[in-house]
Amino acid sequence: MSAFSQNRRRILSLWLPRLPIDRIKRRLSSDARAEHISCGINGRLSPPSLTHKGGRNELYDASTDTPSIVVAKQNNALQVFALDEKAAHSGLVIGMPLANARAICPHVQAYDADEAADDHAINAIAEWCDRFTPLVALDSPHGLFLDITGCAHLFGGEAAMMQLLCGALAAQGFAVSAAIAGTAVCARTLTRHVHGSIVREGEEADAVRTLPVSALGADAAVVTGLRRAGLKTIGDVADRTRHEITARFGAPFTTLLEQALGQSDAPISPRKPLPDYIVEKRFAEPVSTEGVISATLSGLGRMLVTAMSQQGRGARRLEARFFRTDGVVRTISVDTGQAVTRGEMVDRLFRERLEALSDPLDPGFGFDLIRLCASRTEIVVQQQRDLDANVHDNDELTALIDRIAARIGGKRVVVHLPQDTHIPERAVWAAPAQYHLAAAACAVWPARAVDEPPSRPLRLFERPEQIKVIAQVPDGPPARFVWRRATHAVIHAEGPERIAMEWWRAKGTMLTRDYFRVEDETGLRFWLYRDGLYDREIAQAEGRAVQPNWFMHGLFA
Amino acid sequence: MTSLSYAEIGITTNFSFLRGGSHPQDYVHQASLLHLPAIGIADHNTLAGVVRAYNELENTAIKFKPRLLIGSRLVFTDNTPDILVFPRDRAAYGRLCRLLTRGKLGKDTLKGECHLKFDDLLEFAEGQLLALALPHRFEETEALGILDRLRSSRANGVWLAASLLYRGDDRRRLARLHRMADCACLPLLATNEVLYHHPSRRPLQDVLTCIREKTTIDAIGKRLEGNAERHLKPADEMARLFRDVPEAIAETTRFADRIVFSLDQLKYQYPDEPVPPGKTAQRHLEDLTWQGAHRRFPARIPPKTKKVLHKELRLIRKLKYAHYFLTVHDIVRYAREQKILCQGRGSAANSAVCYVLDVTSVDPTKIDLLFERFISKERLEPPDIDVDFEHSRREEVMQYVYRRYGRHRAAIIATVIHYRPRSAIRDVGKALGLTEDVTSALADTVWGSWGKGLDENQVKQAGLDPQNPMVELAVELAAELIEFPRHLSQHVGGYVLTQDRLDTYVPIGNAAMDDRTFIEWDKDDVDALSMMKVDVLALGMLTCIRKCFDLIERHKGERWELATVPQDQKPVYDMLSRGESLGVFQVESRAQMNMLPRLRPREFYDLVIEVAIVRPGPIQGDMVHPYLRRRNGQEKEVYPSPSPAHGDKDELRKVLHKTLGVPLFQEQAMRIAIEAAKFTPEEANGLRRAMATFRNVGTIGKFESKMVNNMIARGYDPQFAKNCFDQIKGFGSYGFPESHAASFAQLVYVSSWLKHYHPDAFCCGLLNSQPMGFYAPAQIVGDARKNGVEVREIDVSFSYAQNTLEEESGKYCAVRLGFRQIDGFRWTDPDEARLKRIQESFRGVRSMNSDVQLHIRESRDSPMCSAHLRSGADAPSRNDAVEEIDDWAERIVSARARRPFTSLEDFARDTALPKRALILLADADAFRSIGLDRRTALWAVRRLPDDVPLPLFETADAREQPDEQAQPLPLMPLAEHVVADYQTIRLSLKGHPMQFLRSKFERERVIPCASVSDTRDRQYVRCAGVVLVRQRPGSAKGVVFMTLEDETGIANIVVWPKVMERFRKEVMGARLVLVEGYIQSSPEKVVHLVAERLFDRSRDLMGLANDAFSRKQAVPAGPALIEPLNDDPRDHLENPAQKIRHPRDVRILPPSRDFH
Repeated sequence: MSAFSQNRRRILSLWLPRLPIDRIKRRLSSDARAEHISCGINGRLSPPSLTHKGGRNELYDASTDTPSIVVAKQNNALQVFALDEKAAHSGLVIGMPLANARAICPHVQAYDADEAADDHAINAIAEWCDRFTPLVALDSPHGLFLDITGCAHLFGGEAAMMQLLCGALAAQGFAVSAAIAGTAVCARTLTRHVHGSIVREGEEADAVRTLPVSALGADAAVVTGLRRAGLKTIGDVADRTRHEITARFGAPFTTLLEQALGQSDAPISPRKPLPDYIVEKRFAEPVSTEGVISATLSGLGRMLVTAMSQQGRGARRLEARFFRTDGVVRTISVDTGQAVTRGEMVDRLFRERLEALSDPLDPGFGFDLIRLCASRTEIVVQQQRDLDANVHDNDELTALIDRIAARIGGKRVVVHLPQDTHIPERAVWAAPAQYHLAAAACAVWPARAVDEPPSRPLRLFERPEQIKVIAQVPDGPPARFVWRRATHAVIHAEGPERIAMEWWRAKGTMLTRDYFRVEDETGLRFWLYRDGLYDREIAQAEGRAVQPNWFMHGLFA
Repeated sequence: MTSLSYAEIGITTNFSFLRGGSHPQDYVHQASLLHLPAIGIADHNTLAGVVRAYNELENTAIKFKPRLLIGSRLVFTDNTPDILVFPRDRAAYGRLCRLLTRGKLGKDTLKGECHLKFDDLLEFAEGQLLALALPHRFEETEALGILDRLRSSRANGVWLAASLLYRGDDRRRLARLHRMADCACLPLLATNEVLYHHPSRRPLQDVLTCIREKTTIDAIGKRLEGNAERHLKPADEMARLFRDVPEAIAETTRFADRIVFSLDQLKYQYPDEPVPPGKTAQRHLEDLTWQGAHRRFPARIPPKTKKVLHKELRLIRKLKYAHYFLTVHDIVRYAREQKILCQGRGSAANSAVCYVLDVTSVDPTKIDLLFERFISKERLEPPDIDVDFEHSRREEVMQYVYRRYGRHRAAIIATVIHYRPRSAIRDVGKALGLTEDVTSALADTVWGSWGKGLDENQVKQAGLDPQNPMVELAVELAAELIEFPRHLSQHVGGYVLTQDRLDTYVPIGNAAMDDRTFIEWDKDDVDALSMMKVDVLALGMLTCIRKCFDLIERHKGERWELATVPQDQKPVYDMLSRGESLGVFQVESRAQMNMLPRLRPREFYDLVIEVAIVRPGPIQGDMVHPYLRRRNGQEKEVYPSPSPAHGDKDELRKVLHKTLGVPLFQEQAMRIAIEAAKFTPEEANGLRRAMATFRNVGTIGKFESKMVNNMIARGYDPQFAKNCFDQIKGFGSYGFPESHAASFAQLVYVSSWLKHYHPDAFCCGLLNSQPMGFYAPAQIVGDARKNGVEVREIDVSFSYAQNTLEEESGKYCAVRLGFRQIDGFRWTDPDEARLKRIQESFRGVRSMNSDVQLHIRESRDSPMCSAHLRSGADAPSRNDAVEEIDDWAERIVSARARRPFTSLEDFARDTALPKRALILLADADAFRSIGLDRRTALWAVRRLPDDVPLPLFETADAREQPDEQAQPLPLMPLAEHVVADYQTIRLSLKGHPMQFLRSKFERERVIPCASVSDTRDRQYVRCAGVVLVRQRPGSAKGVVFMTLEDETGIANIVVWPKVMERFRKEVMGARLVLVEGYIQSSPEKVVHLVAERLFDRSRDLMGLANDAFSRKQAVPAGPALIEPLNDDPRDHLENPAQKIRHPRDVRILPPSRDFH
């Protein structure tokens, strides 16, 4: 035990006891400003999902006055997984079934737990902590270890550093408890009970003695066992012989205890640096001119590409980080549809991106560090170029899409994807090309039945055009119609195909359509429909029978 | 030529679960409105909904009665297109049932599934009318091939079904079908393949599709129908659609006309097993009756009873019910032979015949129930006898029924599981893509299962905006979905028995349990068709009583039976009048305990009333207080009467005199409808049905106006009329008839008798029957100790798995707690073990004469069948092996028999128990007899090696022993022991947690719970205790009742809604609560504390166990930091983070029981 390295480390333990709920509340209150908050934590938070989850905001009164909890399904029942301050005040506790929580506090707001998103959040925070020390380790769940050995003085000492760190996180709305000690376990043990302690070298044992054994974070059975034995504080346990404890609670627990007492240590395992490749340039004098910045970027870009090409990789996502002297970090990232393997490509992508920024890079008093990293890479298969250049059409297409997208915005370059719905105009979705090119290539469009005429027109109008029609009541085909001031006599007609609207969508008309495929005397074929059913909808809606509206919706070949 | 007569034969009801969008009844009404001459119900592989439709035809609201065709839509597993099957006659119907049974009873067929192949249909095709319903796109040659095979089968006729569903190519497809029909020389048959009765049901049907496909409305796409056309259409509309082939419309009525089958042709036959050959059933019943009478009354049958017996036998002969009584008697006789306690209840069960046949132990002369009044001649339904058996041994009885009648003639009836508000909103919400927390918020607002729908307030209560379109839609659709059948489940114990094969009456399917089958109809359906049903129910209290009887016999040498327990013992009634009914059957709830001192039961019939009075019916009908006032002589007994012009002044006196003029029982409510509102028997029957199945939407309201108006017209007080009907409505939610109350009252008496004369056995029996009843073991034990019973700790040297009685100590035997009280300890229930043995022997029997099995699974290939039997034979040996390893208690007992335990090491070696078991035992403080208290034992046990020690290491361990004794552990304080007791066995004999806080509370001028009941009315007091129960009865308008406990006893707290609003957190969340308020004491000494202020003192409770938390500690001075969680420091022990604890740490006492 005494044979312990003199080269002692200093570990800062960070615990975010309410991370799940804090994360959700942040997301709810996030506005445009929050998108670009100084430390960039938000950049990695998962975007709100596309489904109805987004609609939740409307369902709930999003004010922060109401107690909020996060619930997760455990043992087949929803249980409180995390709670905010208000909820804790209302008497809710973690592990309580949601039904009980509602009985105690009927207006409590409950959110579904999303552990993946919580992981993202803690990872984002860890990433942000990179600025203090490169050695950051995850302490699941909801905790971090920072090995700050020899860095604290850069931030004005340990106390100031901890204050800076906690202050920044608290400003972001995270509840946080921190402690600094010579071992990770000791620091973590302290965070569970006292916020902000700094334990001087060799005083670990005294610092944790009075804490209850549960603070060690050992298995619940061990904690119960110790309590039943009357050993309620860590000090009580420390006073027994190690042999006694090991025989009953196992060697891992003794190790944990010794680490908490500062009598042994184990290195923390820093999380793998997230970006696969990083290149950076520090400046002795802060830089702020555009020329230097872009020159630096292209230089970094070349270095990055070289590093990657040695391992046969290309970047799918590039991130440039601009560290301002005042601590603000601006991150600009570029996604590409195809792996980037050439330096000039990196250069061009960032140039176009920077030019198109609505909110230009603000150097303030200048940047002291510019870092470029490839945060998503993939192996580039070095292909033998075929003699026939057409094979690589897609490569050029993606390159083109990337370039156009970098200039006019990724959402404006689209491909079409089939959608599963009866409503003709919704059967196709224009999706961002950068992300859906592959999907578009392998999309399955509804097959045409063999020996059947096509049921949908070749060209579908974006907006159906109103026409005048003479037709048989109630659901006969048109005999004659006027479209764009030309009269067409119908020779052949088939239908109706009755398509009812999607009643669950609040917007738009709810009238049922009767579609007809018709052919006029000149052989032109049209797809047109009557809006509304005679008996059920038209008379009902208006109180008395009125003429229904007819529309032209498409043309067959 | 257009014929305007059209019969829809392709109707899918909501008994095609999650497909059909309308009730069978809805179709009957709609068809009647549209004047369709006939409708054919064709649900997917089932006949489950047909009786509902059939029954609805009797509804007087239906003016035009369509003819009902019974059929099914066969959906095959071998890619054959669907075929509509309608049996022409009774024989063909039987074949259809057998066909469906075959599909459902397959070996690997799960509950609710039906696996049919085209060949199966061909086998049972004789006499059927078949219509091939092709999908939208089909292969012509293939379809022609199927038609060809159908034509060459023995079917009565084959059709090609055609439907026009507005898919664009309708007319082209129709022409194609027409061509094919011509080609095959078959007629075309028009149908709309109906999914709902009205187009407005489309959204609901879409939602059902989403639920079925387990997806959301946004993602389901084209799996939905494209439009709302699949509703029941009128004849002229169908004729217009089929103008190209009018003959297809005309064909529908020809199709309907060919069918001669109707459900009333199901002639039911009683099984004749219980009747010995050469004797008529009536003769046999009479013989048995008189035999029984002589046994019951060895000296001489009282003349009154003799008269009643004669009268009842005459009525039974007249109504031909002898078979029924014999069947019930036969089952009961078996139970008695096996020493299984049972007790009949129901209208016929309280007859003198049932009494002498041992079906019931209630002496009919004591309650004066007129038997024939309830077996009305108008109702040609079989009499109703439910038999309760011991909960833990009912399975044995069920196995007997199967053995006796064979699985081809006996099956459990179904229970239709309907959508309830909670499940409806959950499923609809999920289908609409609402997240689980939103739907559960909506669902959670439904307290209990009372309400019929969700109203706006409930939505608001959940913190959601009722105007939000998605929530609004969800609520609207959920309201529509409520009462839809969700799936079929097996009834708890209703059997239907037939003389010939049951599968020609109704399809039988596999249940979720192995070896269980049940029919597709539920009890209403079976009733409607007058089939015989026997209810074999389970009652936990009977198990408890039997265990008590056994204990008394073993330890005191007296043998009692339900019927031999001495009646009319004054001390028993005295005890009940004091409200001491903890553990007593039916009257142990808080409300009942309050009622007992008010009612002061003096005789058996008072118990009958006591059982029935604290029920939603009488409470909602406001009948309780008038009854109590009359009973106490504060109010005159008056009988409402009609005006003299309208007949007998005393017409209600006859109905109500036993309950002092206040209707309390279901039967009385019915009699009032007949006597005072002059309902015809038919109407009364309808009312009864509407009452039982409240769901027949709208029907109950119709009865309400009729009954109330009739009564007012005949000169009754309108308020009385209204109350009567309110009570009927209350019964609808929870009916309680006098005949049932009488049987229950018998058990109330017997359990009270046990509690008074044998509190030792009663406590032991109750503990051994847990979980059951209202109270936790801690209260049961506390009550027994209060009554002078010594209760002893669990100890490895003396305890068994069960709680046992030990030698007398004072007046009673001492109760030794058993290992079963330890949470997580493994032991086997003797009843379960016995059942297993019986089942194994039964398996053996079946494999010997397996014709029973083969009858139903006939013509399945034999290898499979024998494989099944083989695996059955293998099972026992394997099961036994597992069982032996599992029973920790058994290992202790047998090791103890070899030699007594002297040390922990010996114990561990002799029993070879796993370490987990040892820790549980030590934690339960069960090693005291070998000189180890909880703490020492745990410390010692923990250091034992994880597995059974190898001999080699034993010595090594022993050597390490001494040096550990150097530093003794701190002594465990009593308070901690008590808390640990509660954590491990949920009760403590050492004390009550509150006693350690007493001095602290005394300083705060808090009085003990026991003194609350001695305090003057209106006095202001403070009282604190552990929360045992919280209740918010639906009938109490938001009032919450709490029961507190401390070391002196219990106190009853009332929290009015206003106070609840302010102290909700304390009321709902606190484990230990301090209450300030006024005493409210009634003349009968029913005392409540009306809360004004409440304080959550759970923290004090926590302090008992974890003294480390209450110890002040020096917080190392860190830099000044922002307070991260900014909490009120008083709310925390040391740090906000402390709030986050493992739930187990928080649990000191078992959670209170909350009844919403």
